[in-house]
Amino acid sequence: MKSGIQSRLLLTTTLVLGFSLTLAGLVLERSFRMSTLSGAEEQLRLVIYSLMGAVETAGAAVQVPEPLPEPRLGQAESGLYAWISDSRNRVRWRSPSAVTGDVAAPDAQPLQPGEFRFIEASAGGDGLLHLAYAVIWEDPQATVLTFHVAADWMPFRAAIVSFRRNLFVGLGAVTLLLVLAQVVAVRWALRPLRTMAQEVREMEEGRRRALSTAYPSELRGLAQNLDRFVAHEERSRSRYRKAMEDLAHSLKTPLAVIRNALDRVPAEPRTLLEEQLDRMQSTVTHQLSRASVTGPVIVGRPIDVAAQVQRLLRALQIAYRQRCIEVEVNLPEPCHVRGDERDLMEILGNLLENAFKYTASRVRVSGEIDGRLFVRVEDDGPGIPEAVRQAVLRRGTRADEAQPGQGIGLAVVAELVGLYHGRLRIAQSDLGGACLELELPLTSVGALS
Amino acid sequence: MRILIVEDEAELARQLQENLRGAGFVVDAAADGEEGLYYGNEYDYDAAVIDLGLPKLGGIELIRRLREGDRRFPILILTARDHWQDKVEGLEAGADDYLTKPFRLEELQARLNALVRRAAGYASPVIASGPLALDTARKELRLNQEAVELTAYEYRVLEYLMLNPGRVVSKTELTDHLYEQDFERDSNVIEVFVGRLRKKLDPFNPIRTVRGQGYRFTAEGGV
Repeated sequence: MKSGIQSRLLLTTTLVLGFSLTLAGLVLERSFRMSTLSGAEEQLRLVIYSLMGAVETAGAAVQVPEPLPEPRLGQAESGLYAWISDSRNRVRWRSPSAVTGDVAAPDAQPLQPGEFRFIEASAGGDGLLHLAYAVIWEDPQATVLTFHVAADWMPFRAAIVSFRRNLFVGLGAVTLLLVLAQVVAVRWALRPLRTMAQEVREMEEGRRRALSTAYPSELRGLAQNLDRFVAHEERSRSRYRKAMEDLAHSLKTPLAVIRNALDRVPAEPRTLLEEQLDRMQSTVTHQLSRASVTGPVIVGRPIDVAAQVQRLLRALQIAYRQRCIEVEVNLPEPCHVRGDERDLMEILGNLLENAFKYTASRVRVSGEIDGRLFVRVEDDGPGIPEAVRQAVLRRGTRADEAQPGQGIGLAVVAELVGLYHGRLRIAQSDLGGACLELELPLTSVGALS
Repeated sequence: MRILIVEDEAELARQLQENLRGAGFVVDAAADGEEGLYYGNEYDYDAAVIDLGLPKLGGIELIRRLREGDRRFPILILTARDHWQDKVEGLEAGADDYLTKPFRLEELQARLNALVRRAAGYASPVIASGPLALDTARKELRLNQEAVELTAYEYRVLEYLMLNPGRVVSKTELTDHLYEQDFERDSNVIEVFVGRLRKKLDPFNPIRTVRGQGYRFTAEGGV
């Protein structure tokens, strides 16, 4: 089963949209994080510069006089810490905010003078962003002082997390919106196709003769071709039927004439001629009735089997009036099958005539719908012996074996029923005679189902 | 029995005519539907054989028009196409039976006899009336189980009268149903046939003369 155009389009767009928006999200998240970090580094660098401007050295003592250049350095646990260490890594000054805390440089590697080192919190493990800067102090000893500033990573991380959340919520909403828009667009674009499918279904059911003309330019050609095809099919079907009828007429009338003329021929060649004529006649009859069957149709209307049975029975009751046959009909209503009306009439007509021909006095037509349509035609005649049942139905293969008036109809019926994907079975009726059971698919027998 | 044949195939029509005449029918043949309609409306037939594929006026339409014109004689349709659609339409239009080409002439005769009998209300080929038994299939008459030899014309007169029991049948009507249309009509001949029939059936006398009107067949046949 191939997936529909609609699901193909939707699957593709959803995949592409999802992939590109996820990628965009990742890139955006990454650059936001980087810009947050460099912003933080910049802030820390400014704190270092202001400390450097404020620091006073007196001998070994390093002091930053009040007020501190950055007020947060004076508050304990404020999240911004600073300390100054010397070249031997001894802490020479600590900001009041760092006094209680256990903040230290995550990395004891001495810095070269003039070198900045920025360590992200993730590497430091203490939840701090850390920036250190080493300078050669302009005092007589040319002390190398390292300025350390650390800031709590938490506020930055919170910003990043909230950005990320907003970003993905936003992108998700955009994705959803685009997919929805795509669904609407696809449905809208494919609507003519659905309309066409619906119209074709209506044509199959015989409720419509041709497709409508209001199709977009891409489909107009297809619709026109389909219409032409259907019309052509109907035309060639009726032309074929006409040809078959003409053929039947032009073969059978001379046959009748020859047969009648044989009565005046002496007995010696007559028997032989009659025999050959019989063969010709049954072949012609059989083959023509097979050939005149057209089979399942593309455009057919539902045919009411019960109504057709009633019509045939009325006709047969006229022809068999003197036999006073009692007929009992019990068919579900409505019972529709789709096909060619004439074909169906051939099937039912031959079955019913068969029953009328062989019955003693009673014919019963019954049926039910059980997924398919079942019709049983029963009579109280001699029945068909089990041994010959298959042969009666298969006789079509060798038409010259057919006895005129006996079974020739049933072989044609069996073939016709097969063409309609149905079945014909012969059984014993409880009336005493034959029971012919016809099984036909209920609805579409057409090729476009 | 007067039969109308409407068949456009000249040779087949000729054979039917010949065969049915040989079997004692009076036959008129029409070659197309319009001619068939003319004959059908003009003359009183006992049965008609109508081919469905006729020029000018199709067989089904012909049957319909004959029935609309209140022509009630039984109609047998001939069809070469052997389609149920045709048979059903023919029977619905007013035909009484169908026969598919090619057929045997004996079969056609048997069907025609059956139709004529059926129209007269007899189901069996043997029409029984008192001690009389007329076998319309074998064209034989039995009186008290004994065979009575009849000439073809005597048989025809008796058959027609027995198919119309209790009804007064004029000499003209008898002539119409017994002779071809171009036959010289002499009602005296009918009187001769009736006279011979009475002699052969004596003492049973089912054929009554209705003065100035014709004959009537009665089952009592009292002396």
